[in-house]
Amino acid sequence: MEGIPTVVVLVRSFRHVAEEMGYPRAVITRHPMGRPLGPPGDTTTQRRVVATALDLLAQATTGGTIIEMDDPYRPITQPKQLAD
Amino acid sequence: MEDAGGKELFEDFKNSFSYGSRTDLSFKFLKGLDVDEAGEFFSALLDEVGGLLDDPSTERLVDLVYRWQVRAYRPRPGVKSSYVYDDRPFQVLGKPLSETTLGLVTSSGHFMSDDPPPTDAEGLNQQQTTLMIDEFLRRAPHLSEIPTEASTDDLVVRHPGYDIRSVSADPEVALPRSLLVEAEKDGRIGRLSSTVYSFVGVCSQGRLRNELDSWIDGWKSAGIEALFLVPV
Repeated sequence: MEGIPTVVVLVRSFRHVAEEMGYPRAVITRHPMGRPLGPPGDTTTQRRVVATALDLLAQATTGGTIIEMDDPYRPITQPKQLAD
Repeated sequence: MEDAGGKELFEDFKNSFSYGSRTDLSFKFLKGLDVDEAGEFFSALLDEVGGLLDDPSTERLVDLVYRWQVRAYRPRPGVKSSYVYDDRPFQVLGKPLSETTLGLVTSSGHFMSDDPPPTDAEGLNQQQTTLMIDEFLRRAPHLSEIPTEASTDDLVVRHPGYDIRSVSADPEVALPRSLLVEAEKDGRIGRLSSTVYSFVGVCSQGRLRNELDSWIDGWKSAGIEALFLVPV
């Protein structure tokens, strides 16, 4: 079966999984768990992560290509309290 | 467990944050630390909290939690993985990304409010969902279909494996629909598939493997030519 090209965005805590499994293309973010694209409401950071991932999807020529982004995690909003 | 005097041991205290009496999915990593490491973490944590009395910036606190999560999940030296991976697949993008139909899949546990939830039980809150961790680990995953244009107000997220506060406040944190729609409008991608997908990553991994071929066939049938994957 022919495969589907993929790019994965995941947090730094699981970089070893990307390496061990040989993810074809992976963008690693230095974010706490549960926040791979960035802080809630931080469209700027999220957009930057998406752009990096799309660039990697378009440009990677070999499997196992991993890009780790430098940006630290900086929340800009107070996540709303869950109703329950 | 208690010591001879009936007091909770520190080891049990630190483990209680991982599906125990003090479950907190942001800090379940404490179970992976030994007692000395956990002690070091709490000491550093309290030091930073004390600093907040005079400096309201939370950056150092955020960095502390982040560093310790990374440290706790780092493979231990000499400990071999339970899994063996036979191949390293790589599929070349067959055409320019600007002409490609992209699909989005996340293991965040999002679903439409009028769809059946990932569990059989209706109306479970997040705390109740977390208590079902063992049940989820035995189950086959359910792939939820989310219209790309669906309102955020119609999305629900339930997941027993991670702190969902951020993705509840802003689904784009793990389900970047709007940003990929933006990428489509900018011509960065050909188009985003009209449906995006989510499942609860905490599931039977064997049953997940059994489902994958049908999921992939579905995505191909939907015209998806590449995938943006966000494991959480």
